[in-house]
Amino acid sequence: MALIDVDHLSFAYDATPVLRDVSMSVEAGEKLAILGGNGSGKSTLAQWIAGWLPRGTFAASEGGVTVEGRPWAELDAATRAGSVQFVGQVPMQQLSGFAFTVLDEIAFGPGNLQLPEPEIRVRVAAAVETCNLGHLLERDPFSLSGGEQQRQSIAAALAMQPRALVLDEPTGNFDPESRDALLAQMEKLPAELAIVWCDVTLGAAMAVASRFVLLDEGRIAYDGDAAGLLAHPRTAQIFGLPAVAEAALLWRAAGVWPEGVPISADPARVAAVLRPMLEEVA
Amino acid sequence: MSPILTLDGVRFGYDPAKPVLRDISFSVRPGEVVAVVGRNGAGKSTLLRLLNGLLRPDAGTVGIAGRDAGKLKVSEIAAHIGTVFQAPEQQIFNATVRSEIAFGPAQQGLSPEEQALRLDEAVARTGLGEVLDTHPLDLDSAMRRFVAVASVIACRPDLMLFDEAQRGLDATRRLLLGGIIAEEKAAGRAIVLVCHDMDFVAAHADRVLGLAEGRLAVDAPVQEFFADAAATRAVSVEQPGIVELAQALGQPVALSAPELVAALEPRLKGGA
Repeated sequence: MALIDVDHLSFAYDATPVLRDVSMSVEAGEKLAILGGNGSGKSTLAQWIAGWLPRGTFAASEGGVTVEGRPWAELDAATRAGSVQFVGQVPMQQLSGFAFTVLDEIAFGPGNLQLPEPEIRVRVAAAVETCNLGHLLERDPFSLSGGEQQRQSIAAALAMQPRALVLDEPTGNFDPESRDALLAQMEKLPAELAIVWCDVTLGAAMAVASRFVLLDEGRIAYDGDAAGLLAHPRTAQIFGLPAVAEAALLWRAAGVWPEGVPISADPARVAAVLRPMLEEVA
Repeated sequence: MSPILTLDGVRFGYDPAKPVLRDISFSVRPGEVVAVVGRNGAGKSTLLRLLNGLLRPDAGTVGIAGRDAGKLKVSEIAAHIGTVFQAPEQQIFNATVRSEIAFGPAQQGLSPEEQALRLDEAVARTGLGEVLDTHPLDLDSAMRRFVAVASVIACRPDLMLFDEAQRGLDATRRLLLGGIIAEEKAAGRAIVLVCHDMDFVAAHADRVLGLAEGRLAVDAPVQEFFADAAATRAVSVEQPGIVELAQALGQPVALSAPELVAALEPRLKGGA
């Protein structure tokens, strides 16, 4: 039994199906990416995995999601909060609204669980350290920059000590420095924490995940490693291949690329494969 | 051809004592696609707001079609410049996609026939035909972006400003946007892209303006810019992976995979 199982899930907000017979799982500690084009159903699947759906009138038409074998509906709020945490596209929208400082914002969740004070302090300190927020603790949560807000939201999620963290297009608005800072922070997360990274581009997801689920019009088109994703026919159509991988594929089509060597999007790796085939520049 | 846009010695600060931009001079000609790059907070979006008249410089001049922008009315600026802002929801205010796109041409006082033509053409080019009666805010974020793009191209401005218009778009919609940029360029209109995505810059821009610490640190053709690692570092952007690969293989620069593969063809051993 996996940490999270999505079992034959079909779902629609209105007449149009958004998810169609989706089955996949997330293992404890796994680093997984859910990738797809605009309107492919990524954010909806992410919200199912995080337990934000079903809600109100939005029920599954078929199938569902279980956490360690139990459906979300059977779990009490504290267990849910400690199972999966979600950081959405707009971190500002998920602030508690009750905290006047970053420190209180991060302590808000554990406080709601009525944990003992020393336990809350330990959790908050660890989350602050991981997310590099020590210099911002007295700031108003609403006054932070986009990148800082994102780190605050992740810290608040980590303070709940979840088993899985779901992130929806987390680097969409970042310049390369902010993106690299977030990627470096991802490496500091506990090894046993599962990551579900949802994105509409390949770059950052490739740096974070070791397994890739490709969602295409609400169906799973691929579930496997990076090399298989890059070679999948829909990948180039949906994301456009990174130009480096496109070059490798062109060399493979021309019979230059050695058989059995996986296609890569990493310039250093592709250069190492090509270099022996080239005459040196005089 | 005379420039559509000319900046001369522009300085601006939200607090004039702390300039965000200083000594900015450049011009943009019809048919040019110019990318403005730099790290978060370098002043890129501020520069756009100076170009479209939302902000006025503390010193220096912004010239639009040969006239000082400071002396133009908003309607006169709007006749020359159209802007697609970062968040489409900030510029969308009509109840349907159709009325949103029709708004600009109606303001320009065009004949009803011409207005209808502009609407049809903008809708066809942005692929919004099936959602004309939908409220723009009920669309997904990518389609909302194209509502903003359609509203701008329907006005046929001489200069278009795109603030991170490619962000969050999948390949199909990036191609659609790239195609629109190419068509506008071919029609002789100028485009300024504020863009974090260097692959998009490499694919679509002719020229790069790089901002660093409020100054124009780089103004170079796109090939030259990406070939120069010191220039990209100076404005805190990454070289595209394809440029890194080209340089690792002893080629000065390539902006696309086919270009690199073709350039290396003569160096392949044994004619493989």
